Amino acid sequence: MRAIYKRELRSYAVSMTGAIAIAVALLIMGLMFRNYNLSTYHLLTFSYTLNNSSLVFYIVVPILSMRVFAEERKLKTDQLLLTAPVSVGQIVMGKYLALITVFAIPCVITGFYPLIMLRFGKETIKWDYSALLAYFLMGCAYLAIGMFISSTTENVIIAAILSILFVFVTQMISNTYTLMSASNFAALIFLVILAVLAGFLVYFMTKNYWAAMITISGLSAAWLITYAIKASWFSGKTEAVMKVLDFATHFNDFANGSFTIPNLLYFISAGAIGIILTIQSVLKRRWS
Amino acid sequence: MIEVKNLTKKYGDHYAVDHLSFQVEDGQIYGFLGPNGAGKSTTMNMMTGYLAPTAGMIKVNGFDIMEEPEAAKRTIGYLPELPPVYPDMTVREYLAFCAELKRVPKKERLSAVKEKMMELGIEDMANRLIRNLSKGYKQRVGFAQALLGDPQTLILDEPTVGLDPKQILEIRELIRNLGKKHTVILSSHILSEVSEVCDRVLIINHGRFVACDSPDRLEMGGKGGTTLLVAAEGKRADVLAALRTVVQVTDGDLTEDQGVVSASIDVPDRQDIRGRVSAALFAANCPVVEMRTKKANLEDVFLELTEGEEQADQDDQEQTDSEAEQESPASDKEEPKLHGEEEQKEDQA
Repeated sequence: MRAIYKRELRSYAVSMTGAIAIAVALLIMGLMFRNYNLSTYHLLTFSYTLNNSSLVFYIVVPILSMRVFAEERKLKTDQLLLTAPVSVGQIVMGKYLALITVFAIPCVITGFYPLIMLRFGKETIKWDYSALLAYFLMGCAYLAIGMFISSTTENVIIAAILSILFVFVTQMISNTYTLMSASNFAALIFLVILAVLAGFLVYFMTKNYWAAMITISGLSAAWLITYAIKASWFSGKTEAVMKVLDFATHFNDFANGSFTIPNLLYFISAGAIGIILTIQSVLKRRWS
Repeated sequence: MIEVKNLTKKYGDHYAVDHLSFQVEDGQIYGFLGPNGAGKSTTMNMMTGYLAPTAGMIKVNGFDIMEEPEAAKRTIGYLPELPPVYPDMTVREYLAFCAELKRVPKKERLSAVKEKMMELGIEDMANRLIRNLSKGYKQRVGFAQALLGDPQTLILDEPTVGLDPKQILEIRELIRNLGKKHTVILSSHILSEVSEVCDRVLIINHGRFVACDSPDRLEMGGKGGTTLLVAAEGKRADVLAALRTVVQVTDGDLTEDQGVVSASIDVPDRQDIRGRVSAALFAANCPVVEMRTKKANLEDVFLELTEGEEQADQDDQEQTDSEAEQESPASDKEEPKLHGEEEQKEDQA
């Protein structure tokens, strides 16, 4: 694992992608810090800076994560890694730790900004650092998902576009809540559509027509029965489901001073899911 | 020792490897031979744990590759078809990385890397970026990578492809030397290479086992022993009569061209009859102008064996009556011949 970690870090350093990612992150965060905290708006909490720095993810996540597995596959160097006496888990973790290390650099540097604000008073300093922690964890979750996306394709451009899309959806989804009908029936339709999507996913992963059909019909039937018995169960379910993907709102909750364990766990588990999916996706390729 | 039992790999409905079983004894150089698409690379990828088999078992030096992958992989050095090198690293950096990856202890790492670079003659390239190396040098870097960690077994997928003739000779020499310390399995569709380097040859076609034996025995087992070509001056009848005193010949074996009669004689049991033939022809006043033995070479054996396979294949297909599949063996059928041509060109070069 150490060998892979060191090689990845070296590759970020040599290929300049690491430097570009760090520079972009620092530029955006520095600009926002100046605008929101130092001048223009003169706000007292650092979380506004971070809240408005989500643009960083649109650029840094694809730059850092697109090559992680896609490039290995293209160069056929995955043959070296997968035939070496290391487990797939170690390969994935080595690469992931290198990703996080690069992303940690701008976060550590921005960690000095709240200290600059100490001259305005130290009441908010705890919030500032919990917001920064949330920001870092959100980045880690994105990088894990980005790594997973990279492991599904040989094409770095596709990997980059897909990870930008993922960042876009998870940052913007809160803006669509008001578009959705709040009625119980609409929630039922929404869940049935999700069941169909789940069915497609099952088919895509197993290539088994029957497994997909059973997933769709099973889930839909369960929901129809629930709806017939207790329609009120569906109230607010659309938003609840969509909130699963809502990185931005979770971050805001976190950043606005409510340092809660569920919010912390949200980002950590998103990262863990990304890592597990990556491992599965690398293993799956051996079988197909 | 490597044990492969009933190894099967299916891609959709297509069998890339079809119930393949064989054993590789320690301390031997094994040649894995087959036309393109025969399943050589797939088999090697499964033996090294890169691909998972659909069914079957692979045991490498006592470890099952599916159940104890790390222990098994530690005993294997693998050079895939394309050397798995990172273009943005220098040779030294790359090999140091591989050494760490293969768990060479930290103290020995530098000396191990240096040793392998010396062995493959790439120490002059140590500080060059792999991106800037020629195909031959990249191949050698890949080779050095496979040797790191001193694995018991080396698996080499077409190790000489893309090299110039001098490099091919060097790599062959290297493989021969490695064979003294390691068990080597190499794949190739170049027959001369296999017959020259390998102790045993395993022929597969369409993912199926065809034959496995030493190159000499395979040659013998082919069209049946040796063929003696004799050309003598004189009358056709005289030559025939003289030859008949030594060996069985029919008039059909003879051809006449401008007073020179040539005969192609099948010699039973590989016995040496050249002296007797020469004496008999001399006695009959037919001076010998040319005489040579022609062994049935591995190439003939290979074509014969793999074509036989394809015939069987077509029979299979006729039974299943599948039109789509019927087209593929027809196009495949060209392949062994093509390799034959390639082979000849290479010999000329």
